[in-house]
Order: sequence, then C-alpha cells, then structure tokens
Amino acid sequence: MGWWQELRYVVGRLDRRRAEAELDEEIRTHLELETEQNIEAGMSPEEARYAALRAFGNVSLSREDSRTMWGLSWLHTLRQDLRYGARMLLKHPGFTFIAVLTLALGIGVNTALFSVVNAVLLRPLPYAEPERLAQVYEANAQQGYDRFAFSLANFVDHRDQQTGFEQMAAYFRRDANLTGAGEPERVQVAVVSASFFPLLRVQPLLGRGFLTEEETPGKHRVAVLGYGLWQRRFGADPGILNQPITLGGNVFTVVGVLPAHFQFPDPFGNNPLSEAAPKVDLLTPMAYDPKNLGDRGSHFLQVLARLRPGVELAQAQTELRAIAGRLEEQYPDRNKGWTVNVFALQDEAVRAVRPALLLLLAAVAFVLLIACANVSNLLLARAAARQKEMALRLALGAPRARLLRQLLTESLLLALAGGAAGLALAYWAMRAFISFSPANVPRTDEIRLDAVALLFTFGTTLLTSVAFGLLPALQASKPDVHATIKEGGRQAGGRAGSPRMRGLLVVAEVALSLLLLIGAGLMIRTFISFQRVDPGFRTDNLLTMKLALPFAKYPEPRQQVAFYQQVIERVRALPGVQGVGAVSDLPLAEGGFFAFIIEGRASASAQDDPSAVWRATSPDYFRTMGMRLRRGREFTEHDQPGAVEVVVINETMAASFWPGEDPIGKRIQIYDQQPMPWREIVGVVNDTKQFGLNAPTRPEIYVPFTQRPRAAMTLIAHTAARPEQLAGAMRAAVRAVDPEQPVYRVSTMEQFFSAEVAGPRATMFLMGALAVAALILAAVGIYGVMAYAVTQQTHEIGIRMALGATQRNVLRLVVGQGITLTLIGEVIGLAGAFALTRLMTSLLFGVSATDPATFTVIALLLTGVALLACYIPARRATKVDPLVALRYE
Amino acid sequence: MAKESDNQAQIDLLQGTLDLLILRTLLLGPKHGHNIAHLIHQTSGDVLRVDHGSLYPALQRLERRGWIAAKWGASENNRRAKYYRLTADGRKQLVAETNKWERLAEAIARVLNPAREEG
Repeated sequence: MGWWQELRYVVGRLDRRRAEAELDEEIRTHLELETEQNIEAGMSPEEARYAALRAFGNVSLSREDSRTMWGLSWLHTLRQDLRYGARMLLKHPGFTFIAVLTLALGIGVNTALFSVVNAVLLRPLPYAEPERLAQVYEANAQQGYDRFAFSLANFVDHRDQQTGFEQMAAYFRRDANLTGAGEPERVQVAVVSASFFPLLRVQPLLGRGFLTEEETPGKHRVAVLGYGLWQRRFGADPGILNQPITLGGNVFTVVGVLPAHFQFPDPFGNNPLSEAAPKVDLLTPMAYDPKNLGDRGSHFLQVLARLRPGVELAQAQTELRAIAGRLEEQYPDRNKGWTVNVFALQDEAVRAVRPALLLLLAAVAFVLLIACANVSNLLLARAAARQKEMALRLALGAPRARLLRQLLTESLLLALAGGAAGLALAYWAMRAFISFSPANVPRTDEIRLDAVALLFTFGTTLLTSVAFGLLPALQASKPDVHATIKEGGRQAGGRAGSPRMRGLLVVAEVALSLLLLIGAGLMIRTFISFQRVDPGFRTDNLLTMKLALPFAKYPEPRQQVAFYQQVIERVRALPGVQGVGAVSDLPLAEGGFFAFIIEGRASASAQDDPSAVWRATSPDYFRTMGMRLRRGREFTEHDQPGAVEVVVINETMAASFWPGEDPIGKRIQIYDQQPMPWREIVGVVNDTKQFGLNAPTRPEIYVPFTQRPRAAMTLIAHTAARPEQLAGAMRAAVRAVDPEQPVYRVSTMEQFFSAEVAGPRATMFLMGALAVAALILAAVGIYGVMAYAVTQQTHEIGIRMALGATQRNVLRLVVGQGITLTLIGEVIGLAGAFALTRLMTSLLFGVSATDPATFTVIALLLTGVALLACYIPARRATKVDPLVALRYE
Repeated sequence: MAKESDNQAQIDLLQGTLDLLILRTLLLGPKHGHNIAHLIHQTSGDVLRVDHGSLYPALQRLERRGWIAAKWGASENNRRAKYYRLTADGRKQLVAETNKWERLAEAIARVLNPAREEG
C-alpha cells in the first residue's frame, strides 16, 4: 500500500516542469488569498502583500524543501551539481589541470601496481582448486635448510605412509639435447611422477599423461610435449602422437601434448638464474626401481601435494613430520636432523617477490595520499576565494548540507577526471613495471588492466574524492556570513580559509614524502652495495656458453675430456681471445655440494661429514676468471688420470679446516663416485661468490676435469674486446668439433651480474620513481601554500616594510614559516621511517634499515627542496611595494 | 526569520507536530493550503504559529506517504487551488499519532507537575 502510493506520487512528479508549475501556482494562490484577507482586515495593498510574504517565510526554501519530496530529486540535484561543478572547473582551467594531473598521478600508479599485485599475488594459481595445492620440502634446522629437495627414498616413504594428501607428486628438472629433424636443440625437461597430471588436474590437449607403469625402468621412454615446443619444433602437427623423438640420444614416444595455458609449477627461488627459471619444454616420467631407491641422502626432488578436502595444511604437515621422525630413527645415518616443511603453493610461488611488491604497494598509497593532500590544499585556497559565493548562498537559504553536496560533487568530478587520466597513466606505468621486473617475478604475462583493476580504480577514485574534498568542503561551507558579506568578499587578511589546516597538510605531505624518499634511499644503498660486492672473479670481458654432451654419443669420460680439450684449443686460437677455460658449474649461477672426509679426521657418522661446493675445471679456469692463487699451484696439463689425484680449495675451506696450518699436501676424499681416491690439496685460491651476491661463502673444492670429467661444462672466454662479439666464432669452434652439438645459455658474465641484481635494481628504480614523484608533489604543495600565504599576508608584509623591515627580514619571515612546517613534517617522517623501514629489512643488503647516513642525507635533500619551494614566494614577498600593499586595504 | 517576531504569546511548532496538526485539520473535510494554515492558527486560539512556507513541504511529505490526497478545485474567490483530503491510511495515522501525542503530553505534564499527581 505505502510504496504503491509513494510510487504513484513520484511518478506523478516525474514531469518536473509541470510539478514546479503546480507548486508555484499553489504558493502564488496562497499568497494572493493571504493578501486579500489582509486587505479585508484593513491593510493597504502594499502592507497586505508584505505581511503575506512575512507570514509565509522563505519562499525559495519552501519550494526547495517541497521539491526534495519529489522522490528521486537527488538525481535531479546531482545533475544540477554536476553541471554547476563542471562549469566551475572549466572556469579555472589552470587549477583544474594541476588538480587532475596530480590525481591522475596518484590514481594511476595505484591502478598500475594493483594490476601487478592482482596478477602476481592475488589471482589464484591456474590450476583447479589451487588452494589445496602445497609444496613439500625436506628441512634440516641444524644445517640451516628450511626448503630442501627430497631424496627419492624419503619421498616414496612419505607418499606411501601419509593420508592427509589426496596425492603427492615429485619431479626434477634437467636439460637434454633434442636431436633428429632440424637443428639440434637443448630443451628443458621435467621428469615427473605419474601422479603429476592428476594432482594438478591437467588435461592434455592431445593424448594422455603418464601411466603408473611408465614409472618402471624400461617402460619410461615416453614424453608429453609442452605446447610451445609442439608449435615451434613440430609445427603443431596433430599427428605427433606415437611418433618417436630423440632425447639425449635415446628414443622417446610422444604420448601427449600439454594445453597452451599450462604453466609448470616451479618454485620461484630468489635466484632468477637458477636452472628452474626457463620454461619446461617437455615432460618424461620419473622411472625408478622400488627395490632400489638409491642413496637416501641424495636430495634432488621437488615435491607437490594436493590436500584432501577438509584437511588443513598444518594437519598434513604434522602427519608428514611424524613420518619423518620415524624415518629419522630408522635411518639415523642419512636422516638425522631431517624433517619436513609444507607450504601453500600459492605462497611459495610469490615468496621471493612479495616483500618488494608490498613495499611498492605502500609507496603508491603514500603517493596517492600526498596527491590528495596537494589537491586538498588547492581546494582550500579556492575555498577562501569562494567565500563570497558560499556566504551568499547560505544567506539565501541554502542549507549547509546542500553546499557540502555541491562541493563534494565538484571533488568527485575532479577525481573522476583524475581517475580517467590515471587509467591512461596506469597502462603506461604497468608496461614500465613489466619491462623492469626481473625474471623471478611470476606471471607477469597475466598483468593487465582488467575489470577488477577498473573496479579498483573506480573505488579508489570515489575514496580519493572524499579524502581530498571533505576537509575543504567542510571549511568552505561554513564561512562567517556576516563578516564575508560586509567585507564585500574581499579576502580577510590572512585569517580566511584556515592556515592551520593548510599547514597540517604540508606537514603530512613532507612526512610522507620523507618516508618514501628514505625507502628509496635504502634501496639505492642496497643496489650500490650489490654493485660493490667483489665476486672474487672478473666480470668484464667474459663470454660464457654451456654445452652438454649426450651420453649416447660420448659414453666414455675420455671422449668427453677430449671433446672439451679440442674446443678449448680452437677457441684459444681465435683472435681477441686472451684466455679460455671450462667449468662444470658456473659460479653465481649454479653449483652442487659433496660431502668429503679429511685424512686422519674420521667423523662419527656419514651424516656428520663436512660438505663443500664442488667444481671440475680446466687448467686455465682460474686465470681466465681472474682469480688469485693464494698458495701452492694451479692445475696443469700434467694432472691426468693415473697421476696423483689433486684438488685446489678456496680460502674459506682452508681457514675452516686448517686454521693456522698449511693445507697444501693434506689429503681428502670426496663422496662423488666409487671408488673414492684420496686427493691431495695442491693450491688455495681466493673465495668467490657461489650462490648469489648476498649468500655466505661456503668451503669449495676444485677438481681438474681431466681427473673427474663431466658431460656438461660451461666454456668461458676472456676477450680483449666486447665479449658478445665472440659468440659467433665460439659457436663455430664448437660446431667444428661436433656439428650436432648444441650450445645454450650464451651470456656474458656482466649479463649474469645484472640478472643477479635485477630484483634490487627494479625495486630501486620503481621506489626511486615514486619517491621523486612524491618529492615533486610535496615541493609543489609547499610552494602552493607559501605562495598563497604570501598573497594573504601582502597587507601585513606591506606594513612591516613601511615600518622599516628589510627585504632580508621579509625573506626570513616567509621562508621561516615554510621551513618550520617542513621541519615538523620531517621529524614526524623520520620517526615513521624508524618504525617502518624495519619492515623492508629482507629487501636490504649492505645497509641497515635505520642507516643514519641515508636518513640524514634524505632529510637534508628534502629540506633543500623545501627551501627552494619557499624561496620563490618569499622573493615575491620582498618585492611587495608597501604603498601598493597598503592601498590594497 | 519569523523568530524575531515580537508576539511573545505565540509558540513555535515542535518538530514533527505540524504533520499531526495538518491531518487533524483535514478531518473536517478537504482544505487547501491557505485554509489549513489559518485553521491551525484559529483553532489553537491564536497560540500556535505556522510559517506558511513550511506547510507546503509538509503537505508534499504527507501526500507522498499516502496519508492525504490532492485534487485541484476552485477556491473562495474562484481561483484554482489544490485541495487536500484525508485518506483511509491518513485517518489511521491520525489516530495513532493522536494517541502518541496524548501519552507524551500526559507524561510531560506528570514530570513537570508531580505534586498534582500525588494530591
């Protein structure tokens, strides 16, 4: 009933013109009747008319109030306000331009970063029910590992005994030569257990995944191709199923092709150069003999798991740890101290990049806040100028809420324009982010401005309009009606608006930008620290290139050595080559550990044997890399199989195991192969960075590759000129020895280095850009407030100068005001920085989160900029002509 | 505006009571705005003062709620005037509001004049 009548009422007044006319007629009739009545009562017509009006009260208010009853009249009002607001904004194009630009900057960077965070951190992984997926690691607190690979035996035991997971799958990555039709090619292979496909719920595009019986040695020569490889190498041939391919010299049958959208669930380590980084080209089944699972201490498997519905991650972890405890008792020799950690796969995927993204998210929020403060300031200044308008409207009976609404509508218009411009900026900023982002940021190809981002932008825009509009609107809508009208709307000397509020905004801006600048400063220091790290070898003029000889073709170690020696000879003969060496694993990029024992120092159990990084090198390796020999000798041509087995160790190893002793002549055994010969230490070389510039140096053992051959080696050439120019000639040298042998990962050492610092560099650049934006906004804010203050104080300054104040005094007065605000802001900002920069500790290197030097320099920089921003209006103040200023009154 | 009036005998209307008075006035039959204003003034013994201007938003409000209905008709001097009449819902509302008002008045009287209650 009620709503029906209400609807009829509202519909009846949809025709606003008629409704208005009827209301006007009603009121007119009323006034006429009243006037007539008054005349009858004996008043003169004039008196009668006046009395009628007085009895009626405020006619326009009555009309306005009646209209608000007409239902959707707010829509009508909104349209009015929008039209009025747009007119006001267009009337002040300078103000509008600056405000919109400022807001566009603030909203744009937020939209861009939100899109990034949404794609990288928030969007679920592209698998069915990704929240149930987990990554499982072995862990050993004593040895400092919280995420270590599984050994096959441990994986099988855990998998068979647990109940909390629907499935567990293991895989490891390797690369192999794909030969046959076309160029030989090095491809990335994932060797996976059969459970891998059902666990991830991957439906192959063609064919099938792996069968459980294909985990049996002998039946495992089948392969599932990645979509990319299938397209690229096999021309997307749908007839590829059941065709043979040659991988590492062995023939595999293609049984399936993965869909295009499939992404291999790599754990994204901190090192973008880790072998896990390149895309997987094809998958083969992991075959093993259940009766002989190999060395329980040999950890090489990544393990994925899918939780059973209703089972919590923690529950599953507890169960696995119980199993690990039993295995520890059962196999103390290999499993002592080992347990298991379970992490959500989603968290693991973004672990390396989350801190940096959160830092940037905070930074863009700060930029938006500063932008809001700036626009607020502009609006406050405008509010002072619009006092007359507001006072008049209030005097004419407009309720304050109506004025507030009008002012907020104007803010909304500004914010919407800013948001629209911000979207364009966001698109550009997003591309910049993607191009900056290092290789270990996952899922960058999914970053786009989508509906979610648009929604975010719209929400931000609305919030922003309130954030910067409310204060000035409250301020503007309560002018002192009497004073303003009496003064004819002239700006009341300095008291108009609220200087205190504008001061507060400046303080906030300064504090926020100081925080941002310090964050950026710390990142710059971090980047410089990285740049200054001495890796222990030269980084300039080195070209590296990786080769892996197929066992099928080079089964004998002798053949492998011969191949590399021939290639080295050919490369050495190339013009511009100053030295050439080969190493099994390039430092910084890769490397493996082996346990060893020292002659005469037996350990209680194999578990307690020390371990060291291990590399096989050619004789010239140290010289080519520019490493320094500390003691003894390098490897020579005479270190051949059959001669005395020798090793060179690094300084850390010498200092750890032979402190104060000469290690030369001591003998060790390395657990790398049977039988284990005693190897004599013949030299000590300087330490190098093995696993990243900020990783601690471990003991390291070098073995001559002639005595311990490896099929896969990296060639390193030291060049006279730019190293990349040698790449073609070096490839040709390899091809001359074996035309079928592919080379891959051709890279200069400098490229490795810049990849190593890509993360800090990206964070530094992005933080730096945001901090500079904040600094500019703050400077503009300070300038605006001071310039406005000077205009407001023209009269006061004129009096001072008339009374004998010098230009210097005036300068000091104005600059003093600005600097006081700046210093207050800086104190607050510094306190905030002390509290907040700790949160970015994990991103820092070589600098403490509260580095006094950074804090001081940044504060000084900001003070300098603020001084400049104050100086310009202050200069203008000194130009005030006392006569003019006084007449201005 | 009218607050600065010199007639101390008149009382400004309490918030929300105008609606009640309008409904009560319309119980006597359809009236136009000018009628209503004067009827309230007269029946209150010239004590209650209504800003005539505040009447029209109130009439719109009541009509919107469906408590009164409006129709154009001819006024005393043959002008076109809008006549308001009480609807069935308006009658119910009037009863409810009147009850509420009486209870309120009684309660306030009791608070202001406790002695009389006891005596």
